[in-house]
Amino acid sequence: MTRTLTVARVVWLDVIRRKDFYVLLILMALLLVALVSMNLFGLGGVTAYVADIGLMMSWVFTWILAISIGSRLLPQEESRGTIFSLLAKPVTRLELILGKWLGAWSIVSVATVLFYGLVFAVTALHGGRFPGWIVLQAIVLHAMVVAIVCAAALMFSTRLNSDAAATLTGALTATSFLLVPRIPEFVAQAGGLRGGLLLFLYNLLPHFEIFDLRMRVLHDYGAVSAATFMMVIGYGLLVTIGFLGLGWIGYRGKQFTRGSLSGY
Amino acid sequence: MFTGMGAAIEMRGVTVRFPSRGGEVTALDGLDLTVEPGQVFGFLGPNGAGKTTAMHVLLGFTEATAGTARLFGRDVRESIARQRIGYLPEHPDTYRFLTGHELLDTTARLFKLDGRTRRMRIEGSLEAVGIGDAAARRVATYSRGMMQRICLAQALINDPDLVILDEPTGGLDPIGRMDIRRIIGELRDRGKTVFFSSHELSEVELVCDTLAILCRGRIVAEGPADTLVAPGERLEKVFMKVIADAEASS
Ligand SMILES: Nc1ncnc2c1ncn2[C@@H]1O[C@H](COP(=O)(O)OP(=O)(O)OP(=O)(O)O)[C@@H](O)[C@H]1O
Ligand SMILES: [Mg+2]
Repeated sequence: MTRTLTVARVVWLDVIRRKDFYVLLILMALLLVALVSMNLFGLGGVTAYVADIGLMMSWVFTWILAISIGSRLLPQEESRGTIFSLLAKPVTRLELILGKWLGAWSIVSVATVLFYGLVFAVTALHGGRFPGWIVLQAIVLHAMVVAIVCAAALMFSTRLNSDAAATLTGALTATSFLLVPRIPEFVAQAGGLRGGLLLFLYNLLPHFEIFDLRMRVLHDYGAVSAATFMMVIGYGLLVTIGFLGLGWIGYRGKQFTRGSLSGY
Repeated sequence: MFTGMGAAIEMRGVTVRFPSRGGEVTALDGLDLTVEPGQVFGFLGPNGAGKTTAMHVLLGFTEATAGTARLFGRDVRESIARQRIGYLPEHPDTYRFLTGHELLDTTARLFKLDGRTRRMRIEGSLEAVGIGDAAARRVATYSRGMMQRICLAQALINDPDLVILDEPTGGLDPIGRMDIRRIIGELRDRGKTVFFSSHELSEVELVCDTLAILCRGRIVAEGPADTLVAPGERLEKVFMKVIADAEASS
Protein backbone atom coordinates (compact mmCIF):
# COMPACT_ATOMS: atom_id res chain seq x y z
CA MET A 1 0.00 0.00 0.00
CA THR A 2 2.75 2.45 0.98
CA ARG A 3 4.55 1.73 -2.26
CA THR A 4 1.43 2.11 -4.37
CA LEU A 5 0.71 5.46 -2.72
CA THR A 6 4.31 6.57 -3.22
CA VAL A 7 4.12 5.77 -6.92
CA ALA A 8 0.81 7.67 -7.11
CA ARG A 9 2.36 10.66 -5.35
CA VAL A 10 5.11 10.81 -7.94
CA VAL A 11 2.43 10.87 -10.66
CA TRP A 12 0.82 13.86 -8.97
CA LEU A 13 4.06 15.77 -8.68
CA ASP A 14 4.94 14.94 -12.27
CA VAL A 15 1.61 16.12 -13.64
CA ILE A 16 1.18 19.27 -11.59
CA ARG A 17 4.73 20.40 -12.18
CA ARG A 18 4.45 20.13 -15.93
CA LYS A 19 3.66 23.50 -17.38
CA ASP A 20 1.77 21.92 -20.26
CA PHE A 21 -0.67 20.25 -17.88
CA TYR A 22 -1.77 23.21 -15.89
CA VAL A 23 -1.80 25.43 -18.93
CA LEU A 24 -4.09 22.84 -20.52
CA LEU A 25 -6.24 22.73 -17.39
CA ILE A 26 -6.54 26.51 -17.23
CA LEU A 27 -7.35 26.72 -20.94
CA MET A 28 -10.04 24.08 -20.58
CA ALA A 29 -11.50 25.88 -17.60
CA LEU A 30 -11.53 29.19 -19.47
CA LEU A 31 -13.04 27.62 -22.53
CA LEU A 32 -15.71 26.02 -20.40
CA VAL A 33 -16.56 29.27 -18.67
CA ALA A 34 -16.56 31.09 -22.02
CA LEU A 35 -18.85 28.54 -23.65
CA VAL A 36 -21.28 28.53 -20.81
CA SER A 37 -21.33 32.31 -20.42
CA MET A 38 -21.57 33.01 -24.14
CA ASN A 39 -24.63 30.83 -24.46
CA LEU A 40 -26.25 32.46 -21.51
CA PHE A 41 -26.18 35.78 -23.28
CA GLY A 42 -26.70 34.46 -26.78
CA LEU A 43 -29.67 32.19 -26.31
CA GLY A 44 -30.94 34.39 -23.57
CA GLY A 45 -31.75 31.72 -21.33
CA VAL A 46 -32.67 28.25 -20.58
CA THR A 47 -29.92 27.39 -18.15
CA ALA A 48 -30.39 23.68 -18.77
CA TYR A 49 -29.18 24.05 -22.35
CA VAL A 50 -26.19 25.99 -21.22
CA ALA A 51 -25.30 23.52 -18.51
CA ASP A 52 -25.80 20.78 -21.08
CA ILE A 53 -23.02 22.18 -23.23
CA GLY A 54 -20.82 22.71 -20.20
CA LEU A 55 -21.26 19.14 -18.98
CA MET A 56 -20.72 17.72 -22.44
CA MET A 57 -17.43 19.60 -22.69
CA SER A 58 -16.49 18.40 -19.19
CA TRP A 59 -16.90 14.84 -20.44
CA VAL A 60 -14.77 15.51 -23.49
CA PHE A 61 -12.03 17.33 -21.57
CA THR A 62 -11.70 14.76 -18.80
CA TRP A 63 -11.72 12.00 -21.43
CA ILE A 64 -8.79 13.70 -23.17
CA LEU A 65 -6.95 14.20 -19.87
CA ALA A 66 -7.46 10.60 -18.77
CA ILE A 67 -6.12 9.29 -22.06
CA SER A 68 -3.16 11.60 -22.31
CA ILE A 69 -2.03 11.10 -18.71
CA GLY A 70 -2.84 7.39 -18.46
CA SER A 71 -1.06 6.46 -21.65
CA ARG A 72 2.24 8.18 -21.01
CA LEU A 73 3.11 7.29 -17.42
CA LEU A 74 4.66 3.88 -18.08
CA PRO A 75 6.26 4.63 -21.49
CA GLN A 76 7.92 7.75 -20.14
CA GLU A 77 9.57 5.73 -17.37
CA GLU A 78 11.18 3.73 -20.13
CA SER A 79 12.07 6.52 -22.53
CA ARG A 80 13.63 8.58 -19.74
CA GLY A 81 15.46 5.55 -18.36
CA THR A 82 14.02 6.03 -14.87
CA ILE A 83 12.52 2.55 -14.92
CA PHE A 84 15.86 1.00 -13.95
CA SER A 85 16.20 2.91 -10.69
CA LEU A 86 12.54 2.28 -9.94
CA LEU A 87 12.47 -1.47 -10.58
CA ALA A 88 15.71 -1.91 -8.65
CA LYS A 89 13.60 -1.20 -5.56
CA PRO A 90 11.44 -3.90 -4.01
CA VAL A 91 8.42 -2.63 -5.96
CA THR A 92 6.30 -5.23 -7.69
CA ARG A 93 5.00 -4.63 -11.18
CA LEU A 94 1.46 -4.78 -9.80
CA GLU A 95 2.20 -2.03 -7.28
CA LEU A 96 3.65 0.02 -10.09
CA ILE A 97 0.57 -0.29 -12.27
CA LEU A 98 -1.82 0.31 -9.39
CA GLY A 99 0.14 3.35 -8.26
CA LYS A 100 0.20 4.85 -11.73
CA TRP A 101 -3.51 4.22 -12.14
CA LEU A 102 -4.34 5.71 -8.75
CA GLY A 103 -2.30 8.81 -9.53
CA ALA A 104 -3.85 9.32 -12.96
CA TRP A 105 -7.39 8.59 -11.78
CA SER A 106 -7.27 10.85 -8.75
CA ILE A 107 -5.81 13.78 -10.63
CA VAL A 108 -8.35 13.59 -13.47
CA SER A 109 -11.13 13.16 -10.93
CA VAL A 110 -10.08 16.37 -9.24
CA ALA A 111 -10.20 18.03 -12.66
CA THR A 112 -13.71 16.58 -13.10
CA VAL A 113 -14.91 18.14 -9.87
CA LEU A 114 -13.32 21.41 -10.90
CA PHE A 115 -15.08 21.39 -14.28
CA TYR A 116 -18.48 20.54 -12.79
CA GLY A 117 -17.94 23.24 -10.20
CA LEU A 118 -17.26 25.80 -12.93
CA VAL A 119 -20.28 24.82 -14.98
CA PHE A 120 -22.65 24.94 -12.03
CA ALA A 121 -21.11 28.13 -10.65
CA VAL A 122 -21.58 29.99 -13.93
CA THR A 123 -25.14 28.73 -14.43
CA ALA A 124 -25.99 29.49 -10.80
CA LEU A 125 -24.93 33.07 -11.35
CA HIS A 126 -27.78 33.23 -13.79
CA GLY A 127 -30.31 31.55 -11.65
CA GLY A 128 -29.82 27.94 -12.69
CA ARG A 129 -30.33 25.48 -9.81
CA PHE A 130 -29.54 21.79 -9.95
CA PRO A 131 -30.43 19.19 -7.32
CA GLY A 132 -27.39 18.46 -5.14
CA TRP A 133 -27.90 14.73 -4.74
CA ILE A 134 -28.07 14.01 -8.43
CA VAL A 135 -25.08 16.22 -9.09
CA LEU A 136 -23.11 14.24 -6.55
CA GLN A 137 -24.15 10.95 -8.14
CA ALA A 138 -23.28 12.32 -11.56
CA ILE A 139 -19.80 13.28 -10.40
CA VAL A 140 -19.16 9.92 -8.76
CA LEU A 141 -20.23 8.01 -11.86
CA HIS A 142 -18.22 10.35 -14.06
CA ALA A 143 -15.18 9.54 -11.90
CA MET A 144 -15.91 5.85 -12.54
CA VAL A 145 -15.66 6.47 -16.27
CA VAL A 146 -12.35 8.24 -15.67
CA ALA A 147 -11.22 5.15 -13.74
CA ILE A 148 -12.06 2.90 -16.68
CA VAL A 149 -10.42 5.13 -19.30
CA CYS A 150 -7.24 5.50 -17.21
CA ALA A 151 -7.09 1.74 -16.71
CA ALA A 152 -7.54 1.08 -20.43
CA ALA A 153 -4.83 3.60 -21.31
CA LEU A 154 -2.43 2.04 -18.81
CA MET A 155 -3.23 -1.42 -20.12
CA PHE A 156 -2.33 -0.48 -23.68
CA SER A 157 0.77 1.41 -22.56
CA THR A 158 2.31 -1.63 -20.90
CA ARG A 159 3.24 -2.94 -24.31
CA LEU A 160 2.90 0.06 -26.64
CA ASN A 161 4.44 3.49 -26.79
CA SER A 162 2.35 6.37 -25.49
CA ASP A 163 1.09 7.51 -28.91
CA ALA A 164 -0.18 4.08 -29.86
CA ALA A 165 -1.68 3.52 -26.43
CA ALA A 166 -3.47 6.88 -26.52
CA THR A 167 -4.81 6.26 -30.02
CA LEU A 168 -6.10 2.81 -29.18
CA THR A 169 -7.65 3.93 -25.92
CA GLY A 170 -9.32 6.80 -27.73
CA ALA A 171 -10.65 4.51 -30.43
CA LEU A 172 -11.88 1.89 -27.97
CA THR A 173 -13.59 4.29 -25.59
CA ALA A 174 -15.09 6.49 -28.31
CA THR A 175 -16.48 3.43 -30.08
CA SER A 176 -17.95 2.18 -26.85
CA PHE A 177 -19.45 5.51 -25.95
CA LEU A 178 -20.98 6.26 -29.35
CA LEU A 179 -21.81 2.85 -30.71
CA VAL A 180 -22.53 0.45 -27.86
CA PRO A 181 -25.89 2.01 -26.87
CA ARG A 182 -27.05 1.59 -30.48
CA ILE A 183 -26.01 -2.02 -30.92
CA PRO A 184 -29.43 -3.46 -29.92
CA GLU A 185 -30.92 -1.57 -32.89
CA PHE A 186 -28.41 -3.19 -35.22
CA VAL A 187 -28.89 -6.63 -33.71
CA ALA A 188 -32.59 -6.45 -34.42
CA GLN A 189 -31.87 -5.69 -38.06
CA ALA A 190 -28.94 -8.05 -38.55
CA GLY A 191 -30.01 -11.30 -36.93
CA GLY A 192 -28.20 -14.60 -37.44
CA LEU A 193 -24.45 -14.86 -37.04
CA ARG A 194 -23.86 -11.14 -37.47
CA GLY A 195 -26.42 -10.46 -34.81
CA GLY A 196 -24.70 -12.91 -32.49
CA LEU A 197 -21.37 -11.23 -33.08
CA LEU A 198 -22.86 -7.82 -32.35
CA LEU A 199 -24.43 -9.15 -29.20
CA PHE A 200 -21.06 -10.49 -28.15
CA LEU A 201 -19.49 -7.06 -28.70
CA TYR A 202 -22.36 -5.49 -26.81
CA ASN A 203 -21.48 -7.57 -23.78
CA LEU A 204 -17.74 -7.21 -24.16
CA LEU A 205 -17.32 -3.46 -24.63
CA PRO A 206 -17.71 -1.14 -21.66
CA HIS A 207 -21.11 0.53 -21.32
CA PHE A 208 -20.28 4.13 -20.65
CA GLU A 209 -23.87 5.23 -21.21
CA ILE A 210 -25.01 3.90 -17.85
CA PHE A 211 -22.60 6.26 -16.07
CA ASP A 212 -24.00 9.30 -17.84
CA LEU A 213 -26.41 11.16 -15.56
CA ARG A 214 -26.35 14.44 -17.45
CA MET A 215 -30.02 14.29 -18.49
CA ARG A 216 -31.10 13.54 -14.95
CA VAL A 217 -29.13 16.48 -13.63
CA LEU A 218 -30.37 18.89 -16.27
CA HIS A 219 -34.03 17.97 -16.18
CA ASP A 220 -34.24 17.01 -12.53
CA TYR A 221 -35.48 13.47 -13.15
CA GLY A 222 -34.63 12.60 -9.56
CA ALA A 223 -31.72 10.68 -8.07
CA VAL A 224 -30.88 7.13 -9.04
CA SER A 225 -31.92 4.56 -6.45
CA ALA A 226 -29.17 3.49 -4.09
CA ALA A 227 -29.27 -0.09 -5.36
CA THR A 228 -28.91 0.89 -9.01
CA PHE A 229 -26.22 3.40 -8.14
CA MET A 230 -24.17 0.77 -6.31
CA MET A 231 -24.66 -1.71 -9.13
CA VAL A 232 -23.35 0.76 -11.68
CA ILE A 233 -20.35 1.48 -9.46
CA GLY A 234 -19.79 -2.25 -9.08
CA TYR A 235 -19.86 -2.64 -12.83
CA GLY A 236 -17.39 0.23 -13.23
CA LEU A 237 -15.02 -1.31 -10.72
CA LEU A 238 -15.25 -4.64 -12.48
CA VAL A 239 -14.33 -3.14 -15.85
CA THR A 240 -11.51 -1.12 -14.26
CA ILE A 241 -10.12 -4.19 -12.52
CA GLY A 242 -10.44 -6.11 -15.79
CA PHE A 243 -8.31 -3.58 -17.68
CA LEU A 244 -5.77 -3.28 -14.87
CA GLY A 245 -5.58 -7.07 -14.66
CA LEU A 246 -4.89 -7.36 -18.37
CA GLY A 247 -2.31 -4.60 -17.99
CA TRP A 248 -0.63 -6.49 -15.19
CA ILE A 249 -0.49 -9.64 -17.29
CA GLY A 250 1.11 -7.61 -20.06
CA TYR A 251 3.61 -6.00 -17.71
CA ARG A 252 4.47 -8.87 -15.41
CA GLY A 253 6.90 -10.65 -17.67
CA LYS A 254 8.09 -7.60 -19.55
CA GLN A 255 11.83 -7.42 -20.10
CA PHE A 256 13.65 -4.14 -19.92
CA THR A 257 16.60 -4.19 -22.25
CA ARG A 258 18.31 -1.50 -24.20
CA GLY A 259 16.58 -2.49 -27.42
CA SER A 260 13.06 -2.62 -26.03
CA LEU A 261 13.49 0.75 -24.34
CA SER A 262 14.51 2.69 -27.40
CA GLY A 263 11.62 1.17 -29.33
CA TYR A 264 13.72 -0.18 -32.18
CA MET B 1 24.95 -6.23 7.81
CA PHE B 2 24.79 -9.44 5.92
CA THR B 3 21.97 -11.60 7.17
CA GLY B 4 23.44 -15.05 6.69
CA MET B 5 21.87 -16.55 3.60
CA GLY B 6 24.85 -17.61 1.52
CA ALA B 7 26.58 -15.69 -1.21
CA ALA B 8 25.64 -12.08 -1.88
CA ILE B 9 25.57 -12.83 -5.59
CA GLU B 10 25.36 -16.24 -7.14
CA MET B 11 25.01 -16.77 -10.88
CA ARG B 12 25.03 -20.28 -12.27
CA GLY B 13 25.29 -20.97 -15.98
CA VAL B 14 23.58 -17.71 -16.86
CA THR B 15 23.11 -17.32 -20.58
CA VAL B 16 21.39 -14.36 -22.16
CA ARG B 17 20.62 -14.26 -25.85
CA PHE B 18 18.94 -11.32 -27.49
CA PRO B 19 17.07 -11.81 -30.71
CA SER B 20 18.52 -9.54 -33.33
CA ARG B 21 18.34 -9.00 -37.07
CA GLY B 22 19.21 -12.23 -38.80
CA GLY B 23 20.08 -14.22 -35.70
CA GLU B 24 20.93 -13.80 -32.06
CA VAL B 25 23.39 -11.88 -29.94
CA THR B 26 24.84 -13.88 -27.07
CA ALA B 27 25.46 -11.33 -24.34
CA LEU B 28 26.21 -13.84 -21.57
CA ASP B 29 27.46 -17.31 -22.24
CA GLY B 30 27.06 -19.66 -19.27
CA LEU B 31 28.26 -17.15 -16.71
CA ASP B 32 29.25 -18.53 -13.30
CA LEU B 33 29.93 -15.96 -10.66
CA THR B 34 29.99 -15.90 -6.88
CA VAL B 35 30.43 -12.78 -4.81
CA GLU B 36 30.86 -13.38 -1.10
CA PRO B 37 29.54 -11.02 1.54
CA GLY B 38 32.02 -8.32 2.43
CA GLN B 39 33.89 -8.41 -0.85
CA VAL B 40 34.63 -5.38 -2.96
CA PHE B 41 34.33 -7.02 -6.33
CA GLY B 42 35.54 -5.37 -9.52
CA PHE B 43 33.70 -6.58 -12.62
CA LEU B 44 35.85 -5.77 -15.63
CA GLY B 45 35.72 -6.36 -19.34
CA PRO B 46 35.89 -4.56 -22.68
CA ASN B 47 32.90 -2.73 -24.17
CA GLY B 48 30.13 -5.15 -25.01
CA ALA B 49 31.52 -7.92 -22.78
CA GLY B 50 28.20 -8.33 -20.97
CA LYS B 51 28.74 -6.49 -17.68
CA THR B 52 25.58 -4.42 -17.85
CA THR B 53 23.58 -7.41 -19.04
CA ALA B 54 24.77 -9.46 -16.04
CA MET B 55 23.65 -6.67 -13.71
CA HIS B 56 20.31 -6.43 -15.48
CA VAL B 57 19.78 -10.13 -14.86
CA LEU B 58 20.63 -9.65 -11.18
CA LEU B 59 18.02 -6.91 -10.85
CA GLY B 60 15.33 -8.80 -12.74
CA PHE B 61 15.15 -6.43 -15.75
CA THR B 62 16.28 -9.09 -18.16
CA GLU B 63 15.41 -12.74 -17.83
CA ALA B 64 18.18 -15.26 -18.33
CA THR B 65 17.68 -17.53 -21.34
CA ALA B 66 19.22 -20.28 -19.19
CA GLY B 67 20.70 -20.56 -15.72
CA THR B 68 19.83 -19.13 -12.32
CA ALA B 69 20.71 -15.97 -10.45
CA ARG B 70 20.35 -15.33 -6.73
CA LEU B 71 20.89 -12.42 -4.36
CA PHE B 72 21.48 -13.49 -0.76
CA GLY B 73 19.87 -16.79 -1.62
CA ARG B 74 16.74 -15.25 -3.16
CA ASP B 75 15.77 -15.79 -6.75
CA VAL B 76 16.18 -12.45 -8.54
CA ARG B 77 12.69 -12.74 -9.98
CA GLU B 78 11.17 -12.10 -6.53
CA SER B 79 10.81 -8.42 -5.72
CA ILE B 80 11.88 -9.09 -2.11
CA ALA B 81 15.35 -10.01 -3.41
CA ARG B 82 15.91 -6.28 -3.98
CA GLN B 83 15.13 -5.21 -0.42
CA ARG B 84 18.78 -5.18 0.67
CA ILE B 85 20.22 -4.02 -2.66
CA GLY B 86 21.35 -0.64 -3.90
CA TYR B 87 21.83 -0.08 -7.61
CA LEU B 88 23.35 2.64 -9.73
CA PRO B 89 22.44 2.19 -13.43
CA GLU B 90 24.85 2.66 -16.31
CA HIS B 91 23.14 5.85 -17.46
CA PRO B 92 21.70 7.16 -14.24
CA ASP B 93 18.61 9.22 -14.72
CA THR B 94 15.74 9.91 -12.43
CA TYR B 95 12.60 11.98 -11.88
CA ARG B 96 13.80 15.39 -12.92
CA PHE B 97 10.66 17.14 -11.70
CA LEU B 98 11.49 16.31 -8.09
CA THR B 99 14.01 18.09 -5.92
CA GLY B 100 16.97 16.03 -4.74
CA HIS B 101 15.44 15.85 -1.31
CA GLU B 102 12.01 14.78 -2.56
CA LEU B 103 13.62 12.13 -4.73
CA LEU B 104 15.40 10.57 -1.77
CA ASP B 105 12.26 10.80 0.32
CA THR B 106 10.30 9.01 -2.40
CA THR B 107 12.94 6.31 -2.65
CA ALA B 108 12.97 5.82 1.11
CA ARG B 109 9.19 5.40 1.05
CA LEU B 110 9.52 2.65 -1.55
CA PHE B 111 11.55 0.80 1.08
CA LYS B 112 8.84 1.53 3.65
CA LEU B 113 11.21 3.32 6.01
CA ASP B 114 9.54 5.17 8.88
CA GLY B 115 9.73 8.96 9.22
CA ARG B 116 12.71 9.14 11.55
CA THR B 117 14.83 6.62 9.67
CA ARG B 118 13.90 8.38 6.46
CA ARG B 119 15.15 11.76 7.64
CA MET B 120 18.33 10.21 9.00
CA ARG B 121 19.11 8.27 5.84
CA ILE B 122 18.37 11.22 3.56
CA GLU B 123 20.78 13.38 5.56
CA GLY B 124 23.37 10.62 5.53
CA SER B 125 23.23 9.85 1.82
CA LEU B 126 23.19 13.51 0.81
CA GLU B 127 26.28 14.05 2.86
CA ALA B 128 28.00 10.93 1.52
CA VAL B 129 27.63 12.03 -2.10
CA GLY B 130 28.32 15.69 -1.36
CA ILE B 131 25.35 17.49 -2.85
CA GLY B 132 23.73 18.74 0.33
CA ASP B 133 23.58 22.29 -1.06
CA ALA B 134 21.62 21.37 -4.14
CA ALA B 135 19.13 19.08 -2.41
CA ALA B 136 16.42 21.73 -2.44
CA ARG B 137 16.74 22.22 -6.19
CA ARG B 138 14.94 20.31 -8.93
CA VAL B 139 17.02 17.46 -10.31
CA ALA B 140 16.32 18.93 -13.78
CA THR B 141 18.86 21.64 -13.00
CA TYR B 142 21.64 19.23 -12.00
CA SER B 143 24.84 18.77 -13.96
CA ARG B 144 25.70 15.28 -15.20
CA GLY B 145 27.99 14.59 -12.28
CA MET B 146 25.37 15.81 -9.82
CA MET B 147 22.82 13.53 -11.46
CA GLN B 148 25.25 10.66 -10.95
CA ARG B 149 25.65 11.63 -7.32
CA ILE B 150 21.95 11.95 -6.54
CA CYS B 151 21.34 8.56 -8.16
CA LEU B 152 24.09 7.10 -6.01
CA ALA B 153 22.51 8.67 -2.93
CA GLN B 154 19.28 7.01 -3.99
CA ALA B 155 21.08 3.67 -4.22
CA LEU B 156 22.34 4.03 -0.64
CA ILE B 157 19.10 5.15 1.00
CA ASN B 158 18.12 1.70 2.29
CA ASP B 159 21.56 1.14 3.81
CA PRO B 160 21.97 -1.84 1.45
CA ASP B 161 24.05 -4.91 2.22
CA LEU B 162 24.96 -5.24 -1.44
CA VAL B 163 25.62 -2.31 -3.73
CA ILE B 164 25.69 -2.90 -7.47
CA LEU B 165 27.31 -0.03 -9.36
CA ASP B 166 27.52 0.10 -13.15
CA GLU B 167 30.46 2.35 -13.97
CA PRO B 168 30.06 4.61 -10.95
CA THR B 169 32.91 6.93 -11.93
CA GLY B 170 31.75 7.62 -15.49
CA GLY B 171 31.09 11.35 -15.87
CA LEU B 172 32.64 12.31 -12.56
CA ASP B 173 35.39 14.85 -11.95
CA PRO B 174 38.56 13.78 -10.09
CA ILE B 175 36.99 14.85 -6.81
CA GLY B 176 33.89 12.83 -7.64
CA ARG B 177 36.02 9.78 -8.40
CA MET B 178 37.76 10.17 -5.10
CA ASP B 179 34.36 10.49 -3.40
CA ILE B 180 33.26 7.21 -4.98
CA ARG B 181 36.43 5.55 -3.77
CA ARG B 182 35.79 6.90 -0.29
CA ILE B 183 32.15 5.72 -0.33
CA ILE B 184 33.19 2.25 -1.44
CA GLY B 185 35.84 2.21 1.28
CA GLU B 186 33.28 3.17 3.90
CA LEU B 187 30.89 0.49 2.71
CA ARG B 188 33.67 -2.10 2.89
CA ASP B 189 34.60 -1.00 6.40
CA ARG B 190 31.01 -1.53 7.45
CA GLY B 191 31.07 -5.09 6.09
CA LYS B 192 28.96 -4.34 3.02
CA THR B 193 29.39 -6.04 -0.34
CA VAL B 194 30.20 -3.92 -3.37
CA PHE B 195 29.93 -5.25 -6.92
CA PHE B 196 30.89 -2.75 -9.56
CA SER B 197 31.95 -2.48 -13.17
CA SER B 198 34.49 0.03 -14.32
CA HIS B 199 36.91 0.90 -17.07
CA GLU B 200 39.06 3.00 -14.75
CA LEU B 201 41.55 0.29 -13.96
CA SER B 202 43.72 2.53 -11.80
CA GLU B 203 40.68 3.20 -9.61
CA VAL B 204 39.79 -0.47 -9.52
CA GLU B 205 43.27 -1.36 -8.34
CA LEU B 206 42.89 0.95 -5.40
CA VAL B 207 39.62 -0.34 -4.01
CA CYS B 208 38.93 -3.93 -5.09
CA ASP B 209 39.90 -7.02 -3.19
CA THR B 210 38.47 -9.41 -5.80
CA LEU B 211 38.32 -9.15 -9.58
CA ALA B 212 36.69 -10.88 -12.49
CA ILE B 213 37.36 -10.14 -16.12
CA LEU B 214 34.55 -10.79 -18.56
CA CYS B 215 35.01 -11.25 -22.28
CA ARG B 216 32.25 -12.13 -24.73
CA GLY B 217 29.93 -13.16 -21.94
CA ARG B 218 32.38 -15.48 -20.20
CA ILE B 219 34.65 -15.06 -17.20
CA VAL B 220 38.21 -15.31 -18.49
CA ALA B 221 40.06 -14.46 -15.29
CA GLU B 222 38.96 -14.30 -11.68
CA GLY B 223 40.47 -14.18 -8.22
CA PRO B 224 41.80 -12.06 -5.39
CA ALA B 225 43.25 -8.82 -6.69
CA ASP B 226 46.69 -9.48 -5.20
CA THR B 227 47.01 -12.91 -6.84
CA LEU B 228 45.69 -11.79 -10.21
CA VAL B 229 47.98 -8.80 -10.28
CA ALA B 230 51.44 -9.75 -9.05
CA PRO B 231 53.25 -7.19 -6.86
CA GLY B 232 54.84 -4.51 -8.98
CA GLU B 233 52.61 -5.30 -11.95
CA ARG B 234 49.84 -3.06 -13.26
CA LEU B 235 46.24 -4.22 -13.62
CA GLU B 236 46.08 -2.58 -17.02
CA LYS B 237 48.78 -4.90 -18.36
CA VAL B 238 47.13 -7.99 -16.91
CA PHE B 239 43.81 -6.90 -18.42
CA MET B 240 45.28 -6.44 -21.90
CA LYS B 241 47.00 -9.80 -21.78
CA VAL B 242 43.96 -11.70 -20.50
CA ILE B 243 41.74 -10.19 -23.16
CA ALA B 244 44.27 -10.80 -25.93
CA ASP B 245 44.57 -14.47 -24.87
CA ALA B 246 40.79 -14.86 -24.72
CA GLU B 247 40.31 -13.29 -28.14
CA ALA B 248 43.04 -15.52 -29.60
CA SER B 249 41.54 -18.73 -28.24
CA SER B 250 37.97 -17.98 -29.37
N1 LIG C 1 18.54 -5.55 -26.07
C1 LIG C 1 19.59 -6.01 -26.71
N2 LIG C 1 19.45 -6.55 -27.95
C2 LIG C 1 20.49 -7.04 -28.61
N3 LIG C 1 21.74 -7.04 -28.14
C3 LIG C 1 21.96 -6.53 -26.92
C4 LIG C 1 20.91 -5.98 -26.14
N4 LIG C 1 21.41 -5.54 -24.98
C5 LIG C 1 22.73 -5.81 -25.03
N5 LIG C 1 23.07 -6.40 -26.19
C6 LIG C 1 24.41 -6.87 -26.59
O1 LIG C 1 24.94 -7.66 -25.56
C7 LIG C 1 26.34 -7.45 -25.46
C8 LIG C 1 26.70 -7.09 -24.04
O2 LIG C 1 26.25 -5.79 -23.76
P1 LIG C 1 26.48 -5.09 -22.35
O3 LIG C 1 25.76 -3.81 -22.36
O4 LIG C 1 26.15 -6.05 -21.29
O5 LIG C 1 28.05 -4.82 -22.36
P2 LIG C 1 28.95 -4.08 -21.26
O6 LIG C 1 29.96 -5.05 -20.82
O7 LIG C 1 28.13 -3.45 -20.24
O8 LIG C 1 29.67 -2.98 -22.16
P3 LIG C 1 30.12 -1.48 -21.80
O9 LIG C 1 31.44 -1.59 -21.12
O10 LIG C 1 30.27 -0.83 -23.12
O11 LIG C 1 29.08 -0.85 -20.96
C9 LIG C 1 26.67 -6.39 -26.50
O12 LIG C 1 27.14 -7.05 -27.65
C10 LIG C 1 25.37 -5.72 -26.75
O13 LIG C 1 25.31 -5.19 -28.06
MG1 LIG D 1 27.80 -1.50 -19.64
